[in-house]
Amino acid sequence: MLKHLYDTDCTTWSPQGKLFQVEYAMEAVKQGSICLGLKSEKYVVLCSLKRQPSELAGFQEKQFKIDDHIGIAIAGLTADARVLCKYMRNECLQHKYTYESDHPINRLIAKIAEKSQHKTQNSSKRPYGVGLLVAGVDQDGPHLFETCPSGNYYEFKCQAIGSRSQAGRTYFESWFQLFEKSSQQQLILHGLTALKKAIMDDEELSEKNVEVGIVGVGQKFKSLSQDELKFYIKELEGFNAGDQMIVE
Amino acid sequence: MKISLAKEFDNKAHQPVAHTTSPIVTGASVVALKFRDGVIIGTDTLCSYGSMADFKDVKRIRQISKNTVIAASGDHSDFQEVVRLLGEINTEALQYDDGVSPTPRDYANYLARVQYQRRNKIDPLYLMNVIAGYYNGEQYLGLVDLYGTYIEAKTVTTGFANYFCKAIIANYWREDFSEEEARKILIECFKVVFCRDARAHDRIQISVINKDGVRIEDPIQVETRWDFQKFATKANEKLHTQ
Repeated sequence: MLKHLYDTDCTTWSPQGKLFQVEYAMEAVKQGSICLGLKSEKYVVLCSLKRQPSELAGFQEKQFKIDDHIGIAIAGLTADARVLCKYMRNECLQHKYTYESDHPINRLIAKIAEKSQHKTQNSSKRPYGVGLLVAGVDQDGPHLFETCPSGNYYEFKCQAIGSRSQAGRTYFESWFQLFEKSSQQQLILHGLTALKKAIMDDEELSEKNVEVGIVGVGQKFKSLSQDELKFYIKELEGFNAGDQMIVE
Repeated sequence: MKISLAKEFDNKAHQPVAHTTSPIVTGASVVALKFRDGVIIGTDTLCSYGSMADFKDVKRIRQISKNTVIAASGDHSDFQEVVRLLGEINTEALQYDDGVSPTPRDYANYLARVQYQRRNKIDPLYLMNVIAGYYNGEQYLGLVDLYGTYIEAKTVTTGFANYFCKAIIANYWREDFSEEEARKILIECFKVVFCRDARAHDRIQISVINKDGVRIEDPIQVETRWDFQKFATKANEKLHTQ
């Protein structure tokens, strides 16, 4: 097929104006297990589904704290994610040392984007094979960003990436107008409901395979503990997104 | 004939290379006070060349962002360098174009890091910097010295003002003053400084930073009186004629 003629390296354009290597890198993100993020007026919540390579293995962690005010969820090549995570943590530390303040989130995302783009314009490098959902809070409030192997980044009210993420996005499209005024608890339940829509029929959400991180105004980035996860997954049974509308 | 094959050892430990540890063209005192709605900061407009009052209309207060102002006493060329360095942060912000703008505290901390680094090389920027700003409904006032010490305070004085004005401020200034009341204290401080500091000038410049931004006013003359009777009749002449 024609595709194979133009996909050898990053420095070859296809006649349709595509860089196939970059597009393939974005495929790697789609292969990763789902993670999603959603934000309200005050908080951003990240929910991820952890994969277990085999019954003997542990679950692959998907979320990392970058600084007190920023956390990320990853989809794609974990090794590449670790490199970006380390870079982000270093940048935040340096900023704090020099300016005694939190690293502005959109500036950090712009730095990641620049790093990622650099890999797409080099014949001897490959793009990062990981997409990040970055949740953070600054003086303008909570923010949710998605970064891409292509070097593009976008700000979202809510977004899902990874395998079967369309199911999560469909849920968001129906209910995202409620998120702005949602409480912390409601936001987490919305996120878990969306996550549930994306899992396989024979899978179940449990405190073992779910990771939830939350950051917001007056809330440093934290990952929910096993007990908290158990509580929320139980609460899911009685949770109906529509109820929130009646209350308003 | 004595041929020395071995090089003579220099037993002194290698001293750090020191470029400037004494200032040349210098600015004198800075006084800054927080008041109810903002911060007021004043300097005189003199740069001295040693003991010569060389440049008498120098703008020693500089705006570095729409809500931050910096003034310093010490070497004036180093002050110009500092203003340039802080301006570089603004250039970077412009290039990123992402709406991120540093707060007054950001500038002051960055300056403290720079000063500390230079001090470690025994090549200081010979300055007592005062950074004043208004951000997020709060006044900001900070002091960064040539060692890299970083202090946040409600009132700041540098140079001779440290000796003569701290008492005035302690006795007559209050945090909830209006701009007019704070200005009175400031002008009084500069009157005293002019009377006692041999490197001071009676022409001062005041800047006010509040929620409406930065206002650097035109220089004004400080009122001084020299017609006191005893001074006019040269009471001390007796000493010289003996």
